[in-house]
Amino acid sequence: MNVSHLVAAAGLTILMAGPAMAARDYISIVGSSTVYPFSTVVAEQYGKSSGAKTPKIESTGTGGGFKLFCGGVGVDHPDISNASRAIKESEMKTCADNGVKEIVEVKIGYDGIVLANAKAAPEFKVSRKDIFLALAKEVPDPKDPAKLIANPYKTWKEVNAELPDSKIEVLGPPPTSGTRDAFVELVMEVGAEKIDSLKAMKKADAKAFAKVFQTVREDGAYVEAGENDNLIVQKLQANPKAMGIFGFSFLDQNADVIKGSVIDGKGPSYDAIADGSYPVSRPLFFYVKKAHVEVIPGIKGFLAEFTNDKAWGKDGYLADKGLIAMPDAERKKVAESVANLTPMAMK
Amino acid sequence: MLYTSLLPIILALAVASFFLGQRRAERVAQAAGGLRQLHSLPSHYGVFVALCCALPGFVVFLVWMACEEHVITAMVASGLPEALRNLPANELSLVINEIKNIAFGGFTAGGGNPAVEAAASSYLDHLHGLRNIVVAVAVVTCLLPGWWALGRIDKDLRARNLVEGMARVVLLGCATVAVLTTVGIVLSVVFEALRFFQSVSPSDFLFGLQWSPQIAMRADQVGSSGAFGAVPVFVGTFLIASIAMAVAIPVGLLSAIYLSEYAAPTLRSWAKPALEILAGIPTVVYGFFAALTVAPAIRDLGAMLGLSVASESALAAGLIMGVMIIPFVSSLSDDVIHAVPQSLRDGSLAMGATRFETIRHVVVPAALPGIVGSILLAISRAVGETMIVVMAAGLSANLSVNPLAAVTTVTVQIVTLLVGDQEFDSPKTLAAFALGLLLFFFTLILNFIALRVVRRYREHYE
Amino acid sequence: MNDNGTQTAMNARPDLLAPASDLKRRYRTDKWFQRIGLGAIALSLAFIALLFFHIVREGHSAFVRTNIMLDIDFAEKHFVKENLAAADYTALVKHALTETFPEVVDRRDKRQLFSLLSSGAAYQLREMVLANPRLIGTRQQVWLPADDDVDMLQKGKIDRDLPEENRRINDRQLSWLDTLASQGRLETQFNTAFFTGGDSREPELAGVLGAVKGTMLTLVITLMLSFPVGVAAAIYLEEFAPQNRWTDLIEVNINNLAAVPSIIFGLLGLAVFINFFGLPRSTPIVGGLVLALLTLPTIIIAGRAALKSVPPSIREAALGIGASKMQTVVHHVLPLALPGMLTGTIIGMAHALGETAPLLMIGMVAFIADVPGSIGDPAAVLPVQIYLWADSPERGFTEKTSAAIIILLAFLMTMNSLAIYLRKRFEIKW
Repeated sequence: MNVSHLVAAAGLTILMAGPAMAARDYISIVGSSTVYPFSTVVAEQYGKSSGAKTPKIESTGTGGGFKLFCGGVGVDHPDISNASRAIKESEMKTCADNGVKEIVEVKIGYDGIVLANAKAAPEFKVSRKDIFLALAKEVPDPKDPAKLIANPYKTWKEVNAELPDSKIEVLGPPPTSGTRDAFVELVMEVGAEKIDSLKAMKKADAKAFAKVFQTVREDGAYVEAGENDNLIVQKLQANPKAMGIFGFSFLDQNADVIKGSVIDGKGPSYDAIADGSYPVSRPLFFYVKKAHVEVIPGIKGFLAEFTNDKAWGKDGYLADKGLIAMPDAERKKVAESVANLTPMAMK
Repeated sequence: MLYTSLLPIILALAVASFFLGQRRAERVAQAAGGLRQLHSLPSHYGVFVALCCALPGFVVFLVWMACEEHVITAMVASGLPEALRNLPANELSLVINEIKNIAFGGFTAGGGNPAVEAAASSYLDHLHGLRNIVVAVAVVTCLLPGWWALGRIDKDLRARNLVEGMARVVLLGCATVAVLTTVGIVLSVVFEALRFFQSVSPSDFLFGLQWSPQIAMRADQVGSSGAFGAVPVFVGTFLIASIAMAVAIPVGLLSAIYLSEYAAPTLRSWAKPALEILAGIPTVVYGFFAALTVAPAIRDLGAMLGLSVASESALAAGLIMGVMIIPFVSSLSDDVIHAVPQSLRDGSLAMGATRFETIRHVVVPAALPGIVGSILLAISRAVGETMIVVMAAGLSANLSVNPLAAVTTVTVQIVTLLVGDQEFDSPKTLAAFALGLLLFFFTLILNFIALRVVRRYREHYE
Repeated sequence: MNDNGTQTAMNARPDLLAPASDLKRRYRTDKWFQRIGLGAIALSLAFIALLFFHIVREGHSAFVRTNIMLDIDFAEKHFVKENLAAADYTALVKHALTETFPEVVDRRDKRQLFSLLSSGAAYQLREMVLANPRLIGTRQQVWLPADDDVDMLQKGKIDRDLPEENRRINDRQLSWLDTLASQGRLETQFNTAFFTGGDSREPELAGVLGAVKGTMLTLVITLMLSFPVGVAAAIYLEEFAPQNRWTDLIEVNINNLAAVPSIIFGLLGLAVFINFFGLPRSTPIVGGLVLALLTLPTIIIAGRAALKSVPPSIREAALGIGASKMQTVVHHVLPLALPGMLTGTIIGMAHALGETAPLLMIGMVAFIADVPGSIGDPAAVLPVQIYLWADSPERGFTEKTSAAIIILLAFLMTMNSLAIYLRKRFEIKW
């Protein structure tokens, strides 16, 4: 018994002895699972073309990413944090409190959010108002618009007579997700504003209005389906009656089995999202710790790779993966600030 | 390098001192008039000497491993120019990292600061110098106590008691690990959970009937009423776990009984490992299977029977989870049933009982504690399982015990809350810790009840 | 035996000595019970078979890959620089493609033509030249990986009869591919990259070697810690600890640990191993430690059950002839309990092998392209790889996901077969 213990312990420590001293010679990136697919492609290209170690990219979610990123300066903390939303003031404050004073913000492009269903299902041409009426927990009473009632609509046809007569069943992200936040802001809020009684309410009581458009119904019409977009795509195939909400790149890759709905007269195509005519898209970012740039090998090279037109340009390999490129002028501006490592203004 | 072979050296010293001790004991025995005169077996003396030799050296090694980093960093840092030395600790760590990168890999990110490069070479010097000293110290701390122990060997030395005492300490230490783990788990969730309870009152959390973290979306709406009621989440957890157990207990237990009581040895030797594969399939795989194959099948079946079934029903997730935990019941129960002494069976069969009656009245009661243990383990696994439910059961927190409805579980909520895109300090994220803590105490109480029940019904044989 | 005696016995256990007419029914019950048991096993095995069938059907195609043969001209003008690695290998590939299809001149068309090949093609050429610089100045026929869309088309996962706008491969590209195929330049070949490569975001280049190595390193640590510690803890609690309230509490506590959601173990690992002990994130050492804590309760519970099932007579006999408590346990009880302990280990390790959630918190759910060399390097493990691939938008990852599952199962079975062999060796029926 004891001998075997000793052997086991010894073996373990032999294994431990080697790497305990090693320094960090690779870039450490954390953050959003939405930016992950793009960041990883760049990292791989960078690693292969430079011959350096490939950056390590964790998919932790935006909030978890910032928690790690703002933990401090030093090798134990990540160098870059990916985000599907801009950094919040409270997070900047945490960063500053922990000594992370200079952060470079890099906007990398846009991600379209689509409402899609199976190829076999009828095509949807909806307005954002329709979506709001179909998915909000409380909607104005059709008889007395000033009063809010629990959402009575069961089918899309009841929402808008032009829509197909199928049950409302939408698979979408949970409230913790950034995709959900963006969806609520870009679709539900705008949709709610299209309704006169709610518009009046916004003026009178912004908070109550916010509660109306932010609260998604919970009676089974909206199914919180987790963050695995592939699963949603496959569930849509298995259930042609359902609709799904997810990122454009999944539609792009699966165009043969699902189709995007037309929202406010525009279908979700690359060009429509890029020129802003498709209304539902959000910017993606990553944040770099300036203090690390000079000391962790490879950060400069990685930044250069990312902000190269070969990567994030209109014909770049990121576009091929579904990232919507920014207009040329904006790209140039961001690339410049990256090259100069211009930090964000701290509030 | 000598340092990397330090452990093998210590081991070799230990082995050598074992034989020396044994030989010495044998010689002492001869002088005293035969082995009978010794207090313990010669091998006990050997182990005693070996332990006295290896443990101190090992401790020296461990201590050095723990503080090598700090010592060398401090030495190198003291040699740096003033400007670098006075950096705050975390920025200094970046400089040290750069020094190490130059020292070990010979590359740098930029800089090219001569002070840093000089430090890199002194870093290696320090490292090698100190490591040689450590090796010397460790070897001496091996040899001296070993020498001392060897000298102490005589026929009255209670070597066995000493060795067994040490072994008991090791065993106790191992048992403490489990307890420490518990302490660690409670500690790692309790602070965050307390912060959560600052914004949401515990009674709302414990007895609230509505779970809907979406309301507290913006900081200005924190803690809107009823949003963080844990009841539906827990009801969902136990609904899914019960469905899983409804599959796993009968199938697992029947399999176990068949395997150990009826099956031919060859079938048993094949079927048991085959069942164990079920426990090793990644839960992600089960999740996909449940979400894409089982759930639609159940929905279609329900539609045929005129039932309204949610696309993400508790039934689909529960069934598949049940399949996953079959081996927990089957293999562990099989082992304990198998271990019931054959004499009990023979006695019962000799009395004219059929095999079924023997199993029912003799074998199962004798194996009951083990069987209950395996079932408890399976329940635990079902309660703690995550990925299957994330994929197949969804996140809608309905307060329902209808297996055809969509429910959510504690683990699903914890995972989605923790990996979401929200700020880490928002109550939404902190709720994960509160859920974890509550689940911990909930299962603790359940296990306590289970222990009492087992005690009452346990039958002692022999 | 006299009548009187039979009478008393019948009163005591009437069902055992019931009249013969009852015997048939009792045997029928027995028969039925046996059949139900067999049915239960058959059910589970059928499920395994179904699952395997599913996975193999999905995953077998990942073991081959579509390659395109090109005549690469390693002309010396491309290698003017000292550094061979820095030469423009993409230009070599592009040059070869334009040679094969001289009619393509438009810039946009060329882009589409070049996209038929994987971005890994250039790196493959680089590897070739670095390994063998004498290639420079020669002309070689080289099989290069095709793009994942081409691969999917070739494997029938993309329907070529769909309208053009719904396909990722357009009609022109299809005609080029047909030309290549008719020249024998398009083939599906065994996918060695899958076994020799690390993770990649290009499905055609992605391999499992990094994850397999990461898994091995992680599980070695898990096993080396959790098995001895678990067995020792079980022995202490079952054989040495005094039976009182405290040991009850510890027992309940360990049972309870098994019910703690695995992601919470991840939180613990983050707090203790990474933040307190300062071990590096995303490494097998931290992963192994966390998984060891996760499997410990399973091993302890199974170990205690196994020790409990050793008949007291064995202990009494050993103690009776003068063995010490420790000797009794080590020499007599433990060997008998070992099969049960091994079962617990098998199940615990299987659990550890399939676990993703706790690794999320300690940074192992990450894109790590380099194959880890030691337990201090960042590494992914197989279930994480499966999880990440399953979440990737590219169609090509669907089959890769299933193929990685096949690898994981193979890993599991290899690991188990060793333990099962040991278990069989130690198993005694008495």
